[in-house]
Amino acid sequence: MSLLSVKDLTVRFGGITALDQVSLELNRGEILGLIGPNGAGKTTLFNCISGVLQPDQGRIRYQGKSLRWLKPHQRAQRGIARTFQNLQLWGTMTVLDNVKVPIDALGKRSLVVDALGLPFATYAEKAANERARAILHVLGLLDHEDRLAGDLPVGIQRRVELARALAMRPQLLLLDEPAAGLDAAETEGLADLLTRIRERFKVSMLLVDHDMSLVMRACDYIYVLDFGKLLAAGRPEAIREDPKVIAAYLGEASAELPGAPEEEAVVVAKTAAQPTTPVFRLPDRPLLEVSGLAAGYGHLEVVRDVNLRISTGEVVACIGANGAGKTTTLRALSGVIRPRGGRVIFEGADITHDRPEAIVRLGLVHIPQGRGLFPKLSVEETLRLASYSGADGENLEPAFQLFPKLRDRRRQVVGTLSGGEQQMVAMARAILARPKLVLLDEMSQGLAPAIVQELFRLLDEFRNRGVAVLLVEQFVDSALAVADRAYVFEQGTVVHEASAKELRRDKGLIASSYLGSAPEPPAAAAHAGGNGHNGHTPLPAELMEDLMLKLPASMLRSLQEKSAREGRPAQALVLELLEERRS
Amino acid sequence: MLIQLEAYTVIGLTVGGALALAALGIVLVYRVTGVLNFANGAMGMFSTFVAWTVIYDPGWSRLRPAFLPEQVWVWFAVLIALVFSVGLGLALELGVFRWLVGRSQLIKAVVTIGILLLLQSGASLIWGNTQYHLPVNVVDPQRSVMVARVPVGWNQLLVMATAIGLSLGLAAFLQWSRFGVAMRAVSDDPIAAGLWGIPVRWVGSVSWMLGSLVAAIAGILISPFINFDTISLTLLVLDALAAALIGGLVSLPLTVLGGFALGLLETYPRIWIQSQDFPKLIALLVILAVLIFRARRVLLEKQA
Amino acid sequence: MNRVIRAAGFLLLALAITVPARLDLELQFDAALAVIYGLAILSLVLLTGYVGQISLCQATFMGISAFGTGMLVNTFHLNYFVAAAAGVLMSFLVGIVVGIPALRLRGILLAVVTLGVALVFDKYFFLDSAYGWFTGGSFGWHVSGTHVGSIKVDSLHVMPAYYVLLGIFVLVALAMLRLHDSGSGRRFRAIRDSELAAATMGVDLTRYKLVAFGLSAAIAGLGGALYPLVVGSVSAQPFSFLYSLQFAAFAVLMGIRYVPAAAIGGFFMGFMPVILVRLSHSLHHDIKYDWFQVVLGALLVAQLILLPDGVWGDVRQKLDHLQVKAPRRKVETA
Ligand SMILES: Nc1ncnc2c1ncn2[C@@H]1O[C@H](COP(=O)(O)OP(=O)(O)OP(=O)(O)O)[C@@H](O)[C@H]1O
Ligand SMILES: [Mg+2]
Repeated sequence: MSLLSVKDLTVRFGGITALDQVSLELNRGEILGLIGPNGAGKTTLFNCISGVLQPDQGRIRYQGKSLRWLKPHQRAQRGIARTFQNLQLWGTMTVLDNVKVPIDALGKRSLVVDALGLPFATYAEKAANERARAILHVLGLLDHEDRLAGDLPVGIQRRVELARALAMRPQLLLLDEPAAGLDAAETEGLADLLTRIRERFKVSMLLVDHDMSLVMRACDYIYVLDFGKLLAAGRPEAIREDPKVIAAYLGEASAELPGAPEEEAVVVAKTAAQPTTPVFRLPDRPLLEVSGLAAGYGHLEVVRDVNLRISTGEVVACIGANGAGKTTTLRALSGVIRPRGGRVIFEGADITHDRPEAIVRLGLVHIPQGRGLFPKLSVEETLRLASYSGADGENLEPAFQLFPKLRDRRRQVVGTLSGGEQQMVAMARAILARPKLVLLDEMSQGLAPAIVQELFRLLDEFRNRGVAVLLVEQFVDSALAVADRAYVFEQGTVVHEASAKELRRDKGLIASSYLGSAPEPPAAAAHAGGNGHNGHTPLPAELMEDLMLKLPASMLRSLQEKSAREGRPAQALVLELLEERRS
Repeated sequence: MLIQLEAYTVIGLTVGGALALAALGIVLVYRVTGVLNFANGAMGMFSTFVAWTVIYDPGWSRLRPAFLPEQVWVWFAVLIALVFSVGLGLALELGVFRWLVGRSQLIKAVVTIGILLLLQSGASLIWGNTQYHLPVNVVDPQRSVMVARVPVGWNQLLVMATAIGLSLGLAAFLQWSRFGVAMRAVSDDPIAAGLWGIPVRWVGSVSWMLGSLVAAIAGILISPFINFDTISLTLLVLDALAAALIGGLVSLPLTVLGGFALGLLETYPRIWIQSQDFPKLIALLVILAVLIFRARRVLLEKQA
Repeated sequence: MNRVIRAAGFLLLALAITVPARLDLELQFDAALAVIYGLAILSLVLLTGYVGQISLCQATFMGISAFGTGMLVNTFHLNYFVAAAAGVLMSFLVGIVVGIPALRLRGILLAVVTLGVALVFDKYFFLDSAYGWFTGGSFGWHVSGTHVGSIKVDSLHVMPAYYVLLGIFVLVALAMLRLHDSGSGRRFRAIRDSELAAATMGVDLTRYKLVAFGLSAAIAGLGGALYPLVVGSVSAQPFSFLYSLQFAAFAVLMGIRYVPAAAIGGFFMGFMPVILVRLSHSLHHDIKYDWFQVVLGALLVAQLILLPDGVWGDVRQKLDHLQVKAPRRKVETA
């Protein structure tokens, strides 16, 4: 019998129809996949089901009853729980408290009882504690229960959101891109986890994600949305082969992708031209020369002794595990944070201590993780600002030619664009500004596979125009397929430098740089081409957290003891230890 | 009776223009810096007192060359005051608000209360507490023109025209000019703005200089219509906030419209009712209602 | 570390109980005022610190219960404490009504709306003769005092009222500390951190926001209800929006998320003026009040730049730092 039935749902935002007569059925005990290009309306559908948005037309029935008049919290109490694409944890509360809120919401507890601390409150508190711990235990989060949710790395935060949703005792779980921010091994774990959760907690799920390996593995049935309309529905195998879906979402190369273990089975390998000789190159004077760069946040030095050389028209990839210091390096190069040591020479000029706006004007454009856009400005206004970073005049044609979709949305406010559309705006600036070097941080984060292919093709375009690119990308194979060379980062510094060809051949070189997930062949990381892997910004706490997590428990214990003995912070010891292990 | 209505219209529009002028600075600063500036009135008051000093303080007025008409000297004083206001804005940005980037709106608002205290009591120490001071008359207060059988003072016209002109000008500047768009970009996300090549610090400074300038213009033009001392102008902020609310703290033209509507709404009922305050109460309640019903679907706003 | 704070709390409480009895009447009066202000700041800790809703009309809530109490005592000759309870109830109800805009607005817009509410009351209800039945007309209410058992309480004998206020303050503060880590407190904080997540995780936003406004108004109203007893009369001036702004300023300054900040803030608000006046007397030099304001303004600005989490918040952080180090030393001995 159907648990959730959506009929003819329509949602309009001004001129845009985000959902157009969408109908779907979800049976009890089922994991239903919902995929589609960026801006197709997946999150909008979630918003309608959980009640934070009222649809313009159509109806939603849950357990045979209409949801029309129920407020969000009432729907939650009836068993509809969700997670959010852009995390919505309560950042100043502990993980345990985060999970306890929905548990309390199910019980009847009054404010007076709480404030007076009556025995009943104490009892309820104990019960809530136990249940919350049980859930945290299942999700392997018990170690973090006392941490503030906002201080955790993104990957863990996603898991806490899942735990919080489970605490609602849901019958229906809405998961909006749960794999974004997880690395390949974690994603695989997530698929298993979801099936286990279904068995154990008896929940049905609606799953949105751009990671096809996850969706294909976990889902029983898949709906495909495109431009707010239902494009196709069917079993995973059928969807994978559906030409309409391939054209609109998966992209040509991906048909054989999921589960294809062969080494070169990489989205872009087929589509992008192999590295060609750049148009022109000045071998003796590189475009960018970095020597001995050191940078960090607060007390923590995150990167040190980084040396890079990039010539005109080269595409260079930076690879390495989350928290290896890639993002920090890019930030130091573009002046977002001040380097603490070393020198950065761009076109012969020392830009080490210049401010970001000065560096941009020299022709070094940095598109940060999270895109660095202005939510309240319209697309057109935003693109006009490109003239501050070197575009001539305010002619936006080149951008619109490359991204015709943006022309239709030129008056829309950037904050309401879908993730993919936002990334287009960010890339459009790089086109308009005609820089000499582009730094790209996690370009493919949260984007549909087809778009990711397009973006990688765009990199080739950059190369042909003589623009150099420095690329940070979790999809190692995709990145290596377009790149000429790559730097391998480990523990905040560059440990290898090799041509992309060499690295593609010798997987071992890369694998060793992914501390912790080392046994995992990185081919898995590139699995379904473009999906939402990303490194979180390595803030000090997050970085340490990351390192600590990847250490075996026994080693962690002995580290803590050592730090207590010597009165030095554990962080310093970790770094030292890693140093030893490498040499 | 008819003439009375027209006369009241003129009064209402003058009051409205004054409110609108005072509100403009608040909305402008809020929009480009995200700071709700309670010190807006105090900043205008301080600058106006600078003009006052140049005009009336014997030490300064002695400097006026004999051939220069008094009115021209007033303009000179106003010019000095405006230059001073720009400096004041710059000083506040460099000394205070640059250090508060990234803090919560509440903290920034409370900081402006501190600045209000500083400026207001500083002014009291310099220019005496609450006694009345002669106003700064940018145009001859005696001159007027007849509009629809009612005399309208030049200075009244000046207030209304400046409010309208300034709001349209500033709105166009923010909407269309490259620098205006850059200002909004900086208030959205200063770090990203830096990566776009926008001179973030300069934009911040200009925002405050402009805000202070608008506050000074408002203070100078309003001074003939109020009991000009260190307190009244400072507290005009509160009435102005009502007008600012009508524009949702965002739209400059709506703010001015709101100012005028508020002025008329406060004035007309006086034709029939003696009470000074009741009409104001109605006006305030109307605004609260408008504001509350204009707001929608707050839940999703953040998620975009 | 928590033990240190608790011990310090008890010490201060002991001082608060014993010291004022030895002071002169003016200082006793200020001590009572300090507790009243402390309650007002405490109400902001709940509303803004816990629930994240900014209000700039706490003095208005105080005023309502003060006028309400004065009216009930004078017009209906109720027992003072019954009247005070009714006054607090009035504040609670008005608080709920004022909370309605918070269902649709948030952040600074909400702050401005509440300021508007404060102005409406300031300029009209508390002053307009049409509401004289409530406000006692242009002279306000005179409250001659009451008896607790055989003890006389009025503006010349403020110590009993002071003790009642202190007791209320301590109880409310304890209840709020308890609330913070209880189920309701978590729901409040969830609303503060993300309303979207709170709503979709089963928290009834409407109910909890309105309750928060009501409770906050009632806490402020507790101080207001006893105000006439301490001062001997009620008039509009002490409940003007200027006081609301001061409450907000002191709360932010001392650390709006922390209960102890209310005690510190109340102390400063209550005693600063009198200390200053006495200082200038003893110096035989007439310090203008304006200088006080200049200093206050400068301090406010400087402190908020230097101490982002308020005085108490930053002190607390330092102490927490010590605490983090303590267990490490324990490992060594183990
Ligand atoms: N609050 C809003 N105001 C205006 N337009 C909106 C709003 N929210 C979404 N949209 C528009 O509705 C469309 C669907 O957006 P939605 O977020 O549902 O996409 P999505 O399928 O979740 O995409 P993604 O995979 O990138 O997350 C987009 O074109 C977006 O621009
Ligand atoms: Mg989405």
